[in-house]
Amino acid sequence: MNVDYHALAPEIILGITVLAVLVVDLLRIPKYWTAVIGLVGLFAAFVPVLTLGFCESLDFCTEPETAQRVLFGGSFVVDTFSLVLKGLFLGATAVALLLSVGYIEEDRYWQGEFYFLMLCSALGAVVLASSRDLVTLFVALELVTGPTFLMAGWRKGDPRSNEAALKYFIIGVLSAAILLFGMSLVYGYTGELTFGGIRAATAALGDSALLTIGVILTLLGFAFKVSAVPFHFWTPDTYQGAPIPVTAYLSVVSKTAGFVGLLTLSYQAFAELRDVWGPLLWILAALSMTVGNLIAVRQDDIVRLLGYSSIAQGGFILVPFGAAVAGNVTGDQLEQAFFATVTYLLIYAVMNMGAFAVVIAGANRLKSTLIADWGGLSSYAPGLAGLLALFFASLAGIPPIAGWFAKLVMFSSVLGVDSGWATALAVIAVLNSVVAFYYYAKVIKSAWFDQVPDTIPAAELRGMGRAVAPSLQFALVLTAVGVLVLGIFPNLIADVGDVAKTVAAGF
Amino acid sequence: MVVGDLDLASGIWHLASRHGGARVTAETVVFVIFAVVSVAGGLVMIGARNPVYSAMGLLMTMFSMAVFYVLNDAHFVAAVQVIIYAGAVMTLFLFVIMLIGVDRDEDRTEQIPFQRPLALVLGAGFLALVLIAARAAWVTGYGLFSGGEVNGTIENVADELFGTWLIPFQATVLLLTIAAVGTIALAQFAPRARGSAEGSGVSE
Repeated sequence: MNVDYHALAPEIILGITVLAVLVVDLLRIPKYWTAVIGLVGLFAAFVPVLTLGFCESLDFCTEPETAQRVLFGGSFVVDTFSLVLKGLFLGATAVALLLSVGYIEEDRYWQGEFYFLMLCSALGAVVLASSRDLVTLFVALELVTGPTFLMAGWRKGDPRSNEAALKYFIIGVLSAAILLFGMSLVYGYTGELTFGGIRAATAALGDSALLTIGVILTLLGFAFKVSAVPFHFWTPDTYQGAPIPVTAYLSVVSKTAGFVGLLTLSYQAFAELRDVWGPLLWILAALSMTVGNLIAVRQDDIVRLLGYSSIAQGGFILVPFGAAVAGNVTGDQLEQAFFATVTYLLIYAVMNMGAFAVVIAGANRLKSTLIADWGGLSSYAPGLAGLLALFFASLAGIPPIAGWFAKLVMFSSVLGVDSGWATALAVIAVLNSVVAFYYYAKVIKSAWFDQVPDTIPAAELRGMGRAVAPSLQFALVLTAVGVLVLGIFPNLIADVGDVAKTVAAGF
Repeated sequence: MVVGDLDLASGIWHLASRHGGARVTAETVVFVIFAVVSVAGGLVMIGARNPVYSAMGLLMTMFSMAVFYVLNDAHFVAAVQVIIYAGAVMTLFLFVIMLIGVDRDEDRTEQIPFQRPLALVLGAGFLALVLIAARAAWVTGYGLFSGGEVNGTIENVADELFGTWLIPFQATVLLLTIAAVGTIALAQFAPRARGSAEGSGVSE
C-alpha cells in the first residue's frame, strides 16, 4: 500500500513522542526530562504541519494532484482546515504542558504518566482534525477525552478532584453512548461511513425521521463535549475540582476538539440537512450564552467563573452555526459562518490559555482562587495584575486585544444573513456580550482598585511564591504576545481562517 | 457476526422445519452436536451451584461458538474466540472466583418472592420472541457457508485493520495503553512522602 508519510508525519512524530515519554519515565533520571521530551515532540510535530501548509513554495515537497491529501479512502484528509487546527492543538497543548510542569511537580504526583496522558490526548485531537469518517472521528474523540478523565482526578488526595473526575467520567461516557447511538442510526440509514458518502447518500435518499433522530443524537453527543447548555452540568464542578492546568487544557483543547467534530459533521456530512442542525445549534447557542453568562455573574471563585465563562464563550462560538437556520442562506454566507467559527476558536484558545496561566500564577502566590482574596493584586504584583487585565479584557472583547476580532467576525457572519432568526441570535449575542463585560470587568476592578483584604498578612504577600516558575513565565509571555499581536494585526489570523473555509464550500 | 442465541435458535428451527429436504452433511452433524453442547453449556453456567462449574459451562459455550465460526470459514474469528474469550477472559473470571472464595456456595434464597417465576416467564417470552423474529425476518438465509466471498479470514481482517482502518486501530491500541497507565497511576500513591528528597526527582 502506498502511504503518504508526509501527510501523516505530525501524527507519527507525536506517536513516537508519546512512547518516548513513557519509556524515559522508567529511567532513573530527573522527571522534568519527560516534559522536555514532550515539548520537543510537540514542536517537532509542528514542523510537518508547516511544511504541509506551505507545500507549494518548498522544493522537496511533492504536491498532491488535488487540493487536499486524501488517505485511507477518504477517512483521513489533510487540508488547510485540518492543518490550521492541528497547529492550534499542538500550540495549546505545548502551553498546557508548560503550565503543568511546575504545578504537577509541586504536588509530587506521577509526572511522567501525566505528560504521557496529555500528549495522548493531543494526538487524538490532531487525528480528529483530519478524520472524515464516523469511525475515525469517534475513536479520535475518545482518544481526546479518555486521558482527560484521568487527568481531572490527578490530585488524588483532594476530594474535589475525585468528584471532578467521577462526574466528568460519567457524563463523558453517557455522551459517548449518545454520540455512538446517533452515529449508528446515521450509518444504518445511509450505509456510509465517510462524510462524503453520507452527504451523497442523504442527498439521494432524502429526509426521514430516523435520519433526523440520528443527526440530532450525534450533534447532542458533541454538545456534551463542548458543554453547551443544557448539557453543561459537569463543567463547573469538573473545572473547579481538576488541577488548574488540566482545566485549561479541557477548556481549550478538549472543547475545540468537540467544535471541530461539530464543524466537519455539520458542514460536510450533514451539509444537506441544514434544516435539522441549524435550529438545533441556534437553540444551543442562545441558551449557552445566556445561561453561562448569567450564572458567571454570581461567581466568587475565579476558576468557577472561568468555567461558566467558557460555557458562554462556547455559545458565542456556536452563534455562526445558527446563521444556517435561515432558509435563504447562500454558500458564501455558510463559508463566512465557517470562517467565523474557526477564527473564534483560534483566538479563544490563545486568550483562554493566557487567562488560566494568570490564574495559576496567582493561585500559586495567594493559595486561593476566591476573587475577593485577589483584591489589590496590583499593589504587590503589578505584572500579574496587568496580565490579568489583558486576558480578561480580551475575553470581554475590548479592542485592540485579540478578543474583539473574534466577536467582530462572529457578529458579521450572522448579521450578513437576511433572516429574522439570524438577527435575533445576533441581538441575544450583543446582550450577552454586555453581561460578560460586566463580570470580566469586575475581576479587573477587584485586582486593580480594591483594597488588599485583611485576611492576607502583608508579610506573606512579600515572601510567598515570589518567583513564578520559568515555564509558567514562558507560557504567560507566549500567550500575552499572542493576544496582542492577533488583536493589532487581525489580518494574520484572517488569512489563516480564509483558506480554511474552503472546507465548507463543498469538496 | 450473528449473536449466538439467534444463530442457534434459527438454525435449529430450520433444521426442524426442513429435515426432509435438507442435505445432511458432515458439517450439519458437527453443527448439531455443538449446538447442543453450547446450549448445555449455557444451562450449566446458570444452574451450577459451584461458581467454578459455572465458569466451565461458559467455557463450553465459548468453544462451541468457536466451532460455529470455523464452520462459517471465519478461522481468524474462531482463533480469537478461543484465545481471548476461552483463554484470557475465562482466566480472569477464574481469578476473580478464586479471590472471592470457591468454597462459599451461592445463597439461593430470593429476597423478592415473585422474582424467579417472573424471570422464567420473561425468559420464555424472550425465547418465543427470538424464534418468531428468526422466522419472520430472514436476512442471510439458512445454510452453512460454502465458497464465495470470505470475510473472516486472517488476510481480510488484516487488510481492514492495517489498511483502511489503520488510524482508528492504532488509536484504540493507544487507548488501551492509556487505560493501563492511568489505572496504575491512579491506584497507587507515589511512595515518597510529599516534600522529602526535594529536587532529586528520580524514578518513583
